[in-house]
Amino acid sequence: MPCGVVCVRGRPIDAVVALELAGSVTVTALICLAEGFHRSSYFNVPVVCAVLVWLNGMIFARVLGRWV
Amino acid sequence: MAPQDVAIDALLAAGVLCQLLCCVGVLVAHDVFDRLHYAGAGSTLGPLFILASILLAHGLTTPGLQTIAAVGILFVASPIVVHATARAARRMTFGHVSASAEERGERP
Repeated sequence: MPCGVVCVRGRPIDAVVALELAGSVTVTALICLAEGFHRSSYFNVPVVCAVLVWLNGMIFARVLGRWV
Repeated sequence: MAPQDVAIDALLAAGVLCQLLCCVGVLVAHDVFDRLHYAGAGSTLGPLFILASILLAHGLTTPGLQTIAAVGILFVASPIVVHATARAARRMTFGHVSASAEERGERP
């Protein structure tokens, strides 16, 4: 919720920072959900999500730094 | 309740508390560079506590190893992203990345 507020109300670069933190929170939430459901196959999802969070952050930082 | 269960719950609570504090920090920080401090801490400290909790619960089984992979990727990749974002923010704010003569402490 706080990250969403920063994304909506802040500058684009502030929104990217909030998006990075939201990605990290999502990865940890997915780990907790996989543990809560007691399904070991669900632990694959946070691994993929962590890679995507990294790619997402790099692409946004590159685009904002060069063209905005 | 076994001592191991207490430790697992305490580590989980510490991880969630760290993430919450970092989210509030990102919300109340003044500028983008202050926000980056909280974002960096939120992607290293909180997941580390969660990883410790999962490892204490499962040990080095498949869930434990996959959690090590996820948190390891976050732990390694997050500083790279924070650095790239800081460079972009500096370029957007000041128009350049390198330090000026005044910032380096040199006389003009």
